[in-house]
This record gives sequence, structure tokens and C-alpha cells, in this order.
Amino acid sequence: MTSTASSKHAAAHRRALSVAVAALCRDAGFDSSTESCIETLTEIVQSYIIEFGRSSKSFSELTGRTMPMVTDVAMAVSQMGSDISNLREYQRKLSRVKIPKQEMMYPTGT
Amino acid sequence: DKQLEGVQLAGDSLEDMLNHMGDYAPTIPEAVTGYYLNRAGFETADPRLVRVVSLAAQKFISDIANDALQHCRMKGSVQTARRPGKQDKRYTLTMDDLSAALSDHGINVKKPVYFT
Repeated sequence: MTSTASSKHAAAHRRALSVAVAALCRDAGFDSSTESCIETLTEIVQSYIIEFGRSSKSFSELTGRTMPMVTDVAMAVSQMGSDISNLREYQRKLSRVKIPKQEMMYPTGT
Repeated sequence: DKQLEGVQLAGDSLEDMLNHMGDYAPTIPEAVTGYYLNRAGFETADPRLVRVVSLAAQKFISDIANDALQHCRMKGSVQTARRPGKQDKRYTLTMDDLSAALSDHGINVKKPVYFT
């Protein structure tokens, strides 16, 4: 249903997603990849995001709301077999290599 | 009110994470994640939630890619042991390593028999 939707809009998003997947593989340490691998991973991440959305939507509807809140997304994270603390760890690891913004660095004395 | 003190809600740790996230830009663009979330009927006024989904999806793929790299390295060490003169450090993601890594995550990839 989701992967065979044929429109230019869907194709553009899928293409952007596959670029992101390729970038992640590159970050992991791969220098090259076969096309079928990127295609498989793109399909997986697409299913993952849609399942995530469906899950948090269900949690919000269970409490009689239509818009998912932070708690619903938190429940969905654990439903997907992940952990918030693991996510934080992952994000911290990613942002450690980032270069600080220039305007954040102030001179310490005059 | 005193009874509720010390009670941890499901969203508390995520709320804490969202407050500390700042203007972090995920590798998977938020617009793309938002598009797929909208397909599932997910609509939110809080863009930070979309960012969290991006991050979770990104972590999922990174974990799989890391596992695949371990499989690739293990195979590579066997090959370099056979030919000690040649040190090829370029890693290529192949379906063999990927399906081995995916099966560790509970995903079975089956190649159709007519697909070469």
C-alpha cells in the first residue's frame, strides 16, 4: 500500500529518504553499497516511520484525543522496541562531533 | 498532590530530552518523516515530536548498518589472513551482510528466486 503509491510527490520523498539512508551507511563506515541494500533499508525505514505514526496515533485515540502528545510518542518509542535513554545516548554521540556555532563563543575577559 | 510526587509519567524522560534537544537537525529530513507520519494519520503541532521520530528511525538504521559492518569486518579479517600482502580497507555493504544483520533484528529478507 505504502510503497507502491505512484505519484511524483511520493517519489520525491522516497528519493530523499534513500539519500538519508545512504548517508547513515556512510556514517557507519561503509564506503560503498549495492543498490538493493539501500533500497531494502529505505523500505524498512519507511515502514518503521509509518508504524511509528500509527502506533502513536493509536495511543492518542485511546485517551480520546486526535493529536498525539509527548506521552503518546514516548509510549510509541517503547512499543517500537526502543528506549528514550538509548535515543538520548545516540543523539549525544552524534552531537559530540558537531562544530560549535561561532556566535556561541564569547571572549572571556577584556 | 503529595501522592503524585515521585511518580514518573511515560512522557517525562522524553519531555526532558525534547527540552535539551535544541535545534538539532536529523539526517533524515523532518519534512520526509512528517510526510510518512501524515500518511499514517499522525498530525501534530509540535515539530519536536517529528524530530524524535526522525532520530528513532535514524538510530534503527544506524544500528543495522553497524551490525552489517561487523559482519563485513569479520569476513574481511578471514580474507586478509589468507592474503597478508593485500590490505583492502574499503567496505562495501552487500546483501549477505545486510540480511545477516537484519535477521539479528528480527527481520527476514527473502530474495525472490527469479531475482538475480
